[in-house]
Amino acid sequence: MKKKALITGVTGQDGAYLAEFLLAKGYEVHGLKRRTSLFNTDRIDHLYQDPHEEDKKFFLHHGDLTDSSSLIHIMEKVQPDELYNLAAQSHVAVSFEEPEYTANSDALGTLRLLEAIRILGLNKKTRFYQASTSELFGLVQETPQKETTPFYPRSPYACAKLYSYWITINYREAYDMYACNGILFNHESPLRGETFVTRKITRALARIKLQLQDCLYLGNLNARRDWGHAKDYVEMQWLMLQQDAPQDFVIASGEQHSVRDFVDMAAVELGIQVKWQGKGIEEKGYNEAGKCIVAVDPRYFRPTEVETLLGDPSLAKEKLGWTPKITFKEMVEEMVREDLKAAERDELVKRHGYTVYDYNE
Amino acid sequence: MTTKKALIIGVSGQDGSYLAKLLLEKGYKVTGASRDAMLSSFSNLSHLGILGEVELHSVSLNDFRSVLQVLKKCQPDEVYNLAGQSSVGLSFEMPVETFESISVGVLNLLEAIRFLEKPTRIYNASSSECFGNTEGHPATESTPFRPRSPYAVAKSAAFWQVANHREAYGMHACSGLLFNHESPLRPDRFVTRKIVKTACRIAAGKVKKLRLGNLSVLRDWGWAPEYVEAMWLMLQQDDADDYIIATGQTYSLQEFVAEAFNRLGMDWHDHVEHNPDLIRPTDIQLSLANPAKAERQLGWKAHHAMRDVVRIMIEEELAAQQ
Repeated sequence: MKKKALITGVTGQDGAYLAEFLLAKGYEVHGLKRRTSLFNTDRIDHLYQDPHEEDKKFFLHHGDLTDSSSLIHIMEKVQPDELYNLAAQSHVAVSFEEPEYTANSDALGTLRLLEAIRILGLNKKTRFYQASTSELFGLVQETPQKETTPFYPRSPYACAKLYSYWITINYREAYDMYACNGILFNHESPLRGETFVTRKITRALARIKLQLQDCLYLGNLNARRDWGHAKDYVEMQWLMLQQDAPQDFVIASGEQHSVRDFVDMAAVELGIQVKWQGKGIEEKGYNEAGKCIVAVDPRYFRPTEVETLLGDPSLAKEKLGWTPKITFKEMVEEMVREDLKAAERDELVKRHGYTVYDYNE
Repeated sequence: MTTKKALIIGVSGQDGSYLAKLLLEKGYKVTGASRDAMLSSFSNLSHLGILGEVELHSVSLNDFRSVLQVLKKCQPDEVYNLAGQSSVGLSFEMPVETFESISVGVLNLLEAIRFLEKPTRIYNASSSECFGNTEGHPATESTPFRPRSPYAVAKSAAFWQVANHREAYGMHACSGLLFNHESPLRPDRFVTRKIVKTACRIAAGKVKKLRLGNLSVLRDWGWAPEYVEAMWLMLQQDDADDYIIATGQTYSLQEFVAEAFNRLGMDWHDHVEHNPDLIRPTDIQLSLANPAKAERQLGWKAHHAMRDVVRIMIEEELAAQQ
């Protein structure tokens, strides 16, 4: 029989890749989306099926992780075999500005889903995946970080995700549910939100290349992250729910780069050699013509920074056969290519006298 | 010297009442907050004879306005957050309320203090439950958490929120990782009070049986009036930090029960019945503490261990039942 999956956060980067992946596996896929006044389904536009089509496999439902009754209604209707909780206020910097909302959606949202499973008596049927995060390691207690490394969260986002991590384990142990955490390190793609640093870099450099923008402002250039491709990572989310017993896994590339490295690599893809000068907040990146195209803006510093994250995915390698297919370099190339295409489209539209939005933060 | 002002949130509870008493003795002006100050009887404050000396306000930590309002009104030097759904057992029945009162609550409090930009110091009641099973090694302040109930998970998130506000905004914010601490002011639903109260009633011939869940759990039981002193000490340090507060001695629940019945001249085997309904979906088997840091840095040390706690609770219970 055809399996059913429900994805919260289906309109996000991971949700879109996971939906596509599960549809290809023959799943009937249901997605939860929030009501917004602007369309927010760009990332799943290619998967959309008209409600009048026959043999429909992809369904969207309005709901919200801050609304228990909406979750219970949808869970009752869908009765999913697998539930992927990818919805969240997922931006670390924004969590300092909206800590309570972050707690409500990222911590309580998970609890509401686990409760919906229990209330509907789906403990034995529905397997639950919780999107945990390398941000839990925050001020890292050892390097590289693995499943047994103690947590030290450094933001309201990470504190909320810590709650979700442990409540998922508690429900697994207390109510014998198949529930597990994927502790995913940073994973990027052309579908990454425009305000996340990697996408911000590739998008800005592409626009600078086409003279749609002057300068890229960044926060901590020294921050080091373990970056992989989201497309590889969603496969692991699915695999975690296909095991005999639920277990938590670190998913990472095992490779680390600084934000500055990322800028360099993306620039090279566009044929730009960035020349760095200055230190600290005075550090600037210049192009060959001597024009400043990258600068530091302390506004993007966080009250508490996470300086370095590096994952050790040995357990996932051993038990899930984790072998990421897309290299860091390939990922950066793809992101630059896609953002250049978008910038070219904008440039074309602008040249013909139509309005182009800059979509500043 | 000007009078120091303290705000105790959760003043109607066991710790809130003992802390109010301690701070009044130290010359503080004490303001207490409770969810509904009009409706609450504050029987613990009455019991300690200080009901008239504490200014009382209604505050719900889930409501940012109410938090901001009480802080503006009292302008406290020190805030003690002892509020929140406090029962581990109940947290399995009310997981959302548990999170909202504990975790969202402390977040609102931290944010309101930050917003007011006053050098207000804050103590937050954390819990030994964060550690879960301590697996042979007594927990220290650097032992990783392994929470085993919705209560413990919420307290763990709150612990890190406090640490994050301290590090991100330089606030003088501390968490006290208090192990179990008991007193006659414990409500009946807590197992220690239930044991003492029922054993006294059995001794008086009023009831026959005491029904309990898992007797093999091991806990570190201390004397609540001593523990509130440690809370105060944490806020008197130059640097904010987190501390374990415990006796350092662990006993089984069965030993606690045996001690209580012994004191009353009875054998617990004759009166205790096992009730499997009282077993929690997940429980902590072993809770071990190393309170060395509190002794070294705060000069705090527990003077009462389990047997003293049982003795005093029984004395007070007998006096109350007469």
